[in-house]
Amino acid sequence: MLIEAVNIVLLALLAATAIAAVRLHDLFAVAMMFGIYSLLAAVMFVLLDALDVAFTEAAVGVGISTVLMLATIGLVGRHELPSTHRSLLPLAVVVATGAALIYGTLDMPFFGDPGAPVHQHVAPYYISQSPHQTGLPNVVTSVLASYRGYDTLGELAVIFTAGVGVLALLGLRRRKRPGKHRTAQ
Amino acid sequence: MSAAVDILSAVLLLVGTLFTLIGGTGLLRLPDVFTRLHAASVTDTLGAGAILLGLALAAGWSLLMGKILALLLIMALLSPSAAHALARAAIHGIRRPWLDEAQK
Amino acid sequence: MTLTVTLIALLVTMAFALIRAIKGPTVYDRILASNALGTKTVLMIAVLGFVVGDPELYIDIALMYVLIGFIGTVAVLKVSEFGNLGQPQSHTDAEDT
Repeated sequence: MLIEAVNIVLLALLAATAIAAVRLHDLFAVAMMFGIYSLLAAVMFVLLDALDVAFTEAAVGVGISTVLMLATIGLVGRHELPSTHRSLLPLAVVVATGAALIYGTLDMPFFGDPGAPVHQHVAPYYISQSPHQTGLPNVVTSVLASYRGYDTLGELAVIFTAGVGVLALLGLRRRKRPGKHRTAQ
Repeated sequence: MSAAVDILSAVLLLVGTLFTLIGGTGLLRLPDVFTRLHAASVTDTLGAGAILLGLALAAGWSLLMGKILALLLIMALLSPSAAHALARAAIHGIRRPWLDEAQK
Repeated sequence: MTLTVTLIALLVTMAFALIRAIKGPTVYDRILASNALGTKTVLMIAVLGFVVGDPELYIDIALMYVLIGFIGTVAVLKVSEFGNLGQPQSHTDAEDT
């Protein structure tokens, strides 16, 4: 009961943050709003017992993506250009897509339903066997790091490449200017 | 002994709650960055400290208590650093501290 | 019972900080509100661990949050003070032109 109330309040704060992020025109403030959004979303993930997702959200949402957004703002300037087009058509498209997606969720099994197909396939095997086969106490970790280890290795290679690419982009404008490096401080 | 620890834990939690609410109200109501920073620092140090101490007492003598105390130590080191950095950045920016009308 | 009161107070304070982040006239108000919200989030996760009854897992997350939140705040402050993340090019560019 208490947890439901906390979830509802968090969802309301999340919606307020999202609307504020859309309405503000100072990009620095929008970056702050995204940081707050990540914090609130991460608490909701924690409440849903998705601890690994909460870890990722904390590391990526609060830490790295804020830093990357700020680095971008440092390159492109702080103010959003005023929008010149009408936003009615995009709004209609978004509302229609959202309604279709909500309609699509009506046929899905309930959250945590043990009879759902996703819980009948390989999940019982992993849950019963992973402690003996891998020796890890957390099933999610054993699936990610052991059963699908090569998968995760490939993902890491992709993320590493993306990180190198972003760093190369952000470092493009750095020029050597001996003797001037301390002037900004 | 156990009952005394429970009562102490509850009292600490309530004290922390009170300071958190005071800090939050100050963050909302005070007139400029520096006064709001002053209010928020109360929450970050005293409120967080009391709440975490209360939780550590509720946890009992275990690894969990050590983790909570580590969290308390990290927050006690990092929150004032962040507040100081924020005040420094704010005073390097265009903001001047808010003064009473008579002092301007 | 006490934990419930603390949890509600933390939620109320988070709402106050969010209002300040939305209203906040200057950048520094928003940074301050975001930082305060981060602290409240850490406290809330720690308290939630005791409410739910599995504090061991939740405390680890809270520990990680407080460290990452500090990195985020310092990065934000560097940008707000120097205009970028520490490479001094934009200031020297402005002075040259």
